[in-house]
Order: sequence, then C-alpha cells, then structure tokens
Amino acid sequence: MSQPAMINRYRWYELVAIYCGIFVFLAFILAPFVEGFLVSLKPLGLLFSSPYKFWPQNGSFAAYKSMWVSVPGFARYIFNSFFISSIVTAIVLVLVVPAAYAFARFKFRGSGALLAAFLAVNMFSGAVLLIPLFRLMRSLGVLNTYFAMIVPGVAFLIPSAIWLLRTYMMRIPRELDEAAFVDGASHFYTLRRVILPIAMPGITVVAITTFIGSYAQQFIFALTFNSKTEYMPLPVGLFAYFGRQEVIWNELMAASFVGIAPAVILIFLMQRYLVAGLTAGAVKQ
Amino acid sequence: MGQLNLNRVQKFYGTFEVLKGIDLEVRNGEFVVFVGPSGCGKSTLLRMIAGLDETSSGDILIEGKRVNDLPPVKRGIAMVFQSYALYPHMTVFENIAFPLRVERMAEEKLKAKVENAARILHLDQRLQQKPGMLSGGQRQRVAIGRAIVREPKIFLFDEPLSNLDAALRADMRIELAKLHRQLQATMIYVTHDQVEAMTMADRIVVLNAGEIAQTGAPLELYHKPANTFVAGFIGNPKMNFLPVTCKGVSDAGVEVDYKGQTAIIPVTPHSDLVGRALTLGVRPEHILLGTGDLSLTVRPSVIERLGAHTVAYAAIGGEGENFCAMLPGTAAIRPEEVVETGIRTADCHLFDEKGIALERRVELTDIDLGVLDPAAA
Repeated sequence: MSQPAMINRYRWYELVAIYCGIFVFLAFILAPFVEGFLVSLKPLGLLFSSPYKFWPQNGSFAAYKSMWVSVPGFARYIFNSFFISSIVTAIVLVLVVPAAYAFARFKFRGSGALLAAFLAVNMFSGAVLLIPLFRLMRSLGVLNTYFAMIVPGVAFLIPSAIWLLRTYMMRIPRELDEAAFVDGASHFYTLRRVILPIAMPGITVVAITTFIGSYAQQFIFALTFNSKTEYMPLPVGLFAYFGRQEVIWNELMAASFVGIAPAVILIFLMQRYLVAGLTAGAVKQ
Repeated sequence: MGQLNLNRVQKFYGTFEVLKGIDLEVRNGEFVVFVGPSGCGKSTLLRMIAGLDETSSGDILIEGKRVNDLPPVKRGIAMVFQSYALYPHMTVFENIAFPLRVERMAEEKLKAKVENAARILHLDQRLQQKPGMLSGGQRQRVAIGRAIVREPKIFLFDEPLSNLDAALRADMRIELAKLHRQLQATMIYVTHDQVEAMTMADRIVVLNAGEIAQTGAPLELYHKPANTFVAGFIGNPKMNFLPVTCKGVSDAGVEVDYKGQTAIIPVTPHSDLVGRALTLGVRPEHILLGTGDLSLTVRPSVIERLGAHTVAYAAIGGEGENFCAMLPGTAAIRPEEVVETGIRTADCHLFDEKGIALERRVELTDIDLGVLDPAAA
C-alpha cells in the first residue's frame, strides 16, 4: 500500500476531527435535499402522519408522473428557466470576454474607478433596485416579456463576471501578447487565437457561475416583471403546486428535482473544460 | 540588409532617465551583444528596437529608415523572449507557423517554410507535439523557429538562454553561433552573462546605468577596457583594483608607487598625472606565484580548487576588498598561509581618478589576428 506524502499524514484523532467537521457542514447542505427527495417518494396522505416517519412507507415514484398532470405547463417553466439562463450566459460571455481582456491588459484612464464601481454595484442586491427597475421597464413597455427577465439578469451578473475573468486573464503571461504583437497580430486576432483558448478554463468558470447566478436570480425578477404564465421560469412555476386548499408537497419536491436536472447535467458537462494547467509550457515558470 | 542605427536614443520613465542618449551602429550580419548589470537598460533598449516600448527621443533607423513610429511587424524584426512565450494550446508546427498565419500565407508555402525552419533547428520530429511536452532547450528552439520563418532583417534575443541549465546553455550557445553563420542575419542579443557575450558576439556593447560604457570586440574589451566599470564587468573573477600614486611620466609609460614599490606601467599617459592617485588594475589570472615587477604578500582566506585553476581570495590593505588570484592548475598554497605573489607590468591596466583607462600599449593584433577587423579573419 502506498503511503501518503509526509505532508498529508495525520494522527487518528486529527482524522476524526476532520471528518466530524466535514459531516457537520455536509449535513446542513445535504439534509434538505435528502428530506426533499424522501418527501417526493411519499404518498401525500402519509406526509402528515403522526408520529412523523422519516423513511417513506410504500414509497413510489408516482409523484414524478402526477406532477406533469397537476401542472400542465411545467415543461414550459423548465424550458423558460433554461432559456433565460442560457441567453443571459451567452450575452454575459460575449460582453465580458473582451471587457475582461481590456481590464487585464490595457492601461486606460478610469479603469480602476470602473472596477471599483462594478464591485460597488455588486453589493446592491437586486431587490433594492426592484422598484426603480419596475418603473423603467414599465416606461419602456417591456414588462411581461423575456426581455424583462434577461436584461436585468445580464446587468447584475456582468460585474462579478468581469472581476473573475480579469483575474484569470492577468495570470496569462503578457509575453504571449507581446510575441503575437511582434509577429503582426492585431488585438482581436491575439484575443481570438491566443488568449481565448488559454482562458477557456476561466471562461468556463464564468459561464457556470453566470448560469447558476441567473438561475437563482430569476425568481425575484420573474415575480416582479412578469405576470404571464407562459413566460414563468421554474422557481415561480413551482408556486403552481401551492393550491388554494393544500400544497401538493410530494409533487412540489418531485418537480424541484426534475426542474434542476437539466442545469445540473449541463454543469457536469461543462466541468470537463475546467482543465487546470492548460498554460503549461507557455513560459518558463 | 539588416543595418541598424541608433541616434541619441533616450528613454524616460516619468522624469527618470533610463537610457541617456545611446548612439550605436550595427552593421549588416553582425552579432551584437548588449551586456550589463540588471537595471542598466539593456532590455529596455532591445524592446525599443523591437517596437514594444516607446522611444522618448532620438531616432531608430533600420536600413536607413526611421522606424520609431512603426509597429514591430513593419520594422522587419523578430524577437525571441526570455520566457519563450510559446502558445501552449498550439502544436509546435502552429507555433512556428503563427507569424505566417497572421500574414495569411498560402498553406503550401507556409508548410514548406515551417518545415525548413524545423529542419534547421532539429525539430522535425516534434512538429505535432505541444510545447508542454518539450524540454527547455526544445522550447527555446521553437521560439527561435517562430522568429526564423519571418525571415526578418534583424533578430532580437532577450536573454534567451537564462532559463536553461548550465549544460544546455553551453549547447544552445554553440547552436546559436552556428545559426548566425548559417543565416548571415543581423542579430542583437541581450544578456547579463558575460560568457555568452564573450563567446558569441562580433561586438559587445557594455551598458552601465543607461549609458554605453564601451563598444568593442570581445577581446578588445578584455585587453583594453575603457574604464573601471568595463574592466570589472568583463572577466571572471573580477579584476583587482589597487590604489597607486603617480610618480612620474616617461616615454616608457607611467611610473607608479604602490606601498613603496615603484614600477613603470606601459600605458599612454595624459599630461598632468604626476602626484595623482590612480587605480592599478590587474586580472586575477595575471597574478603569478613568486615575484614579478610588483610583489604582493597575501594571506589567502579562502581557496577554491577547480581543477584547471586554483582561485585564492585574500583581504589586502585592510579595505575589506577581496584580492583575488587565479593560478593555473593545482597551486601549492593553503588557506591562512602567507604567500608571495607578483604582477608583471605588461599585464597591468591603469585608470585615472575618474576611472577612465590610460590606453595600454598592447597591439590587439598581436594577441589575436583579426580581432579588430572581422574581414581579416
């Protein structure tokens, strides 16, 4: 059996402490998911049985079928969420990649002030600006459209994306730009042929965080700027399971899991591009 | 084709003058090395010639054409960076082809050129690999290949070997010298390593604090350094400097007094030297065991035995300055044991109070034929 490296050797009580720590925090993150999943397996009638049973008796996946019947538009909500987040991510990337390159490479007046301003904007939660945004959307006449959910999403996600990608791009050796410049390449050629491929892991990180960020912030924008059912994204769509009399908890939980599935799959696929050490061999470190 | 002229070239960073009016002519096909300690402005000067850094004032001319405001690609130069600056996501082929792709050269012609460059640099077998899989020396060759394919008028090298280990550096030095002969191109090479400078250069430009301290062939700098800076910088170990006073001046040279001993140093005197404090310079390799025209009794504190040489260090005169002697072979000396050493006046250098050399009466052609005139070699 191979021994771990000297730096990775721990005494038994250190290992116990490490795993206890991990368990405590994991419990807080994962317990709601486990509970949610178990609820989705239970028949509605047994949910409020007393004493409460944690493990489902005669559990089944029935809720995963009936959820499509109870809320017929659910597939549309998933699509909306996916659609809005994808468009937001695409727009953010198109805008942020050249911007981050500029912030990382060029010295121009006000670049420091702009970056500071981006950070400051990030500190406002979207909720603070909801009413002014609502008035703006109303006077532009774009309430109750995809546009109303996409544009504020993009606006709020750009600052953090620029910060993330700028930091990544600053780690790409400047000599690569200079070498390309000496060989006659324009800035756009250099960006496209040299910087973009090397920055791919950074861009993937930005894409994933933007996608997740957009997924998370949809709720508040959709709730305020949209009242049309057909444009509802998933987080708002889940409210459909809140009936007047009762909440269909098991279907709600099932729907939650189904709803996030496409995003989870997409992120797993994108993770492949997070290859570390892609700059190996560029310059002598 | 690759003639370079610098006319009073200056560079300021804010109010700080990095380069103080550099005048230099580099002839076509010459291998010129800029050498100097860190911060002397040698890399800045190279980057200005390349077009990466702005020139504050003065003119840079390539083939008689002022290029100050032209981008690098229009100057007809190619540059090899210290860090190689290879594109990690591209194969060796694409790395070398990059400048040609920028030009949108036809695929067939491009392929021929890249393969030709790869053959010169022995990279034929590596064309489909990524830089990450190559060794340091191979990476540096790829970087040189990228410069070759453009067929520039002038090659610029910014400390290209300083990231390699000692053995590889010696190999690459020889390869670069061969490449220079093969391509017959003008090359300007920046280094802080005087061995690289001495071995490869047709002409060395020694820079000190933003000024040219001396320009000349390698052996010219070694035998006739113009000032104490060049004398101390060229040669390893460093030249020893001894304080002397001038006793008299004659046709034979300058008579100096060192701690009661007098000797006549064969140099061309200035007027008005008598009675002044001068600096006597003698290289460690010119110190002899036993007696010479001047003798010194020293007690070595450290002795380094390198096989071919024995290097002895001793403190003399109480100034704390190390006196260094490099003796051939395995010398019969021991640490902390007093030893008698001597200096021949013919080996001595003499500098005035400002550190400017009094010209030695040695004919460089006696030392090495063709040093002064490369055409005669």
